[in-house]
Amino acid sequence: MSIKTVYSVKSGIHEAVQDISTQLQDFDTRVLIFFASSNYDPNLLINAMNEQFASLPVVGASTAGEIISGKMLKNSIVAMAFNAEAIADIKVEVVENIKSNCDINQAFQSFGEYFQVAMADLDYTQYVGLILIDGLSNCEEKIMDSIGDKTNITFIGGSAGDDLKFSQTYVYAKGKAYNDAAVLAVIKPTAGFDIIKTQSFEVLDKKLIATKVDAEARKIIEFNNKPAVEAYAQALGVSPDKVADYFMSNPVGLVYGDEIYVRSPQRIDGSNMFFYCNILEGMEVSLLQSTDIVKDTEQAVVDKLQELGKISGIINFHCILRTLELEQKGQTDDYGKIFASIPTIGFSTYGEEYIGHINQTSTMLVFK
Amino acid sequence: MAGKIKKLIDLIVEKRANGNPTIETLTKSKMVMKGIVPDKYTSTSDDDPQVIEKLLALAKELNIKI
Repeated sequence: MSIKTVYSVKSGIHEAVQDISTQLQDFDTRVLIFFASSNYDPNLLINAMNEQFASLPVVGASTAGEIISGKMLKNSIVAMAFNAEAIADIKVEVVENIKSNCDINQAFQSFGEYFQVAMADLDYTQYVGLILIDGLSNCEEKIMDSIGDKTNITFIGGSAGDDLKFSQTYVYAKGKAYNDAAVLAVIKPTAGFDIIKTQSFEVLDKKLIATKVDAEARKIIEFNNKPAVEAYAQALGVSPDKVADYFMSNPVGLVYGDEIYVRSPQRIDGSNMFFYCNILEGMEVSLLQSTDIVKDTEQAVVDKLQELGKISGIINFHCILRTLELEQKGQTDDYGKIFASIPTIGFSTYGEEYIGHINQTSTMLVFK
Repeated sequence: MAGKIKKLIDLIVEKRANGNPTIETLTKSKMVMKGIVPDKYTSTSDDDPQVIEKLLALAKELNIKI
């Protein structure tokens, strides 16, 4: 076994971290990734992690719910421990003050010096990037855009959550808890890696062009040269006062080839619509129709398992909107069971990172 | 004038991917996220100055000489 997953639902921070540590005492942990409910005080939590795992690279994020092999949890800590058979090398950097400055150059220079290859030239088949970012920063697009310009390495990850309080989210690295920050890690998985990005939507033949936007605020003022709410309602075929009822089942998506990059509506403000991802002026998006999350995700995991032969571990960045839908439909147990036989951790995110900032997906880093 | 956008897209993809189809797809997907859908542009597409400006900025960021 090269990857071990553990969790604790103990409410006391020291008890929970001790519980995690005890479960890992016979495992030769070289790297630890954890996701923890925001109900654990972030500074006390990282101090407790430091006490138990001081000598290891440890990275993590606060959540809006956790995932462990076979289960979806609340108010817990989930952790994935890697030995040398799973991760050959890792370098972690923190980019602070991202709201005022999304400059990743220093982090990328550090990666380049550590791996002795510039990030622009690093082998994208051998290395993968992990990103954990303040989920209330609204900076994900800028950071991912900048990463994408500077490297061919895939960076995959999630926006930290805070159990739907929308107050403060945290990322953890280098022995500290940060908000207004992004943790970046470049990992060399020993046996290789793959990606699963799955969303449960079909594309409808109804298009909306963002004709007036405030991209920084993720606000759409007009679609198709009409007030955004009116145009979205028209596409749905419902009255404008009913559109909020359709946000979860009918978001919009950037469609390119077979790929859908979902942009989920968050709220309306007068005739404007706010989204969880930005939509740039001139972008054409398609109206989407939800399908079965459990069935689609199970199929995606089964397909990948068949393709690879075996999966040693999965880190699942799972949109909070999907979690809410699963809760509404009483399907959280069924979703958790998809991962029962695979070492898996994950969390309910405030957005997923893959090529850009996306919504309503399960975006997974798969260790071969 | 027409066709400049397609030329720029093709050049950026060619230089970035160097013939690697995976990187070609990745580079085009990144363009989509920036609001530029590569397949929409042909040799007869109008030279939209805003799109050209975005592509020139991208080329500069990628250290690609135009």
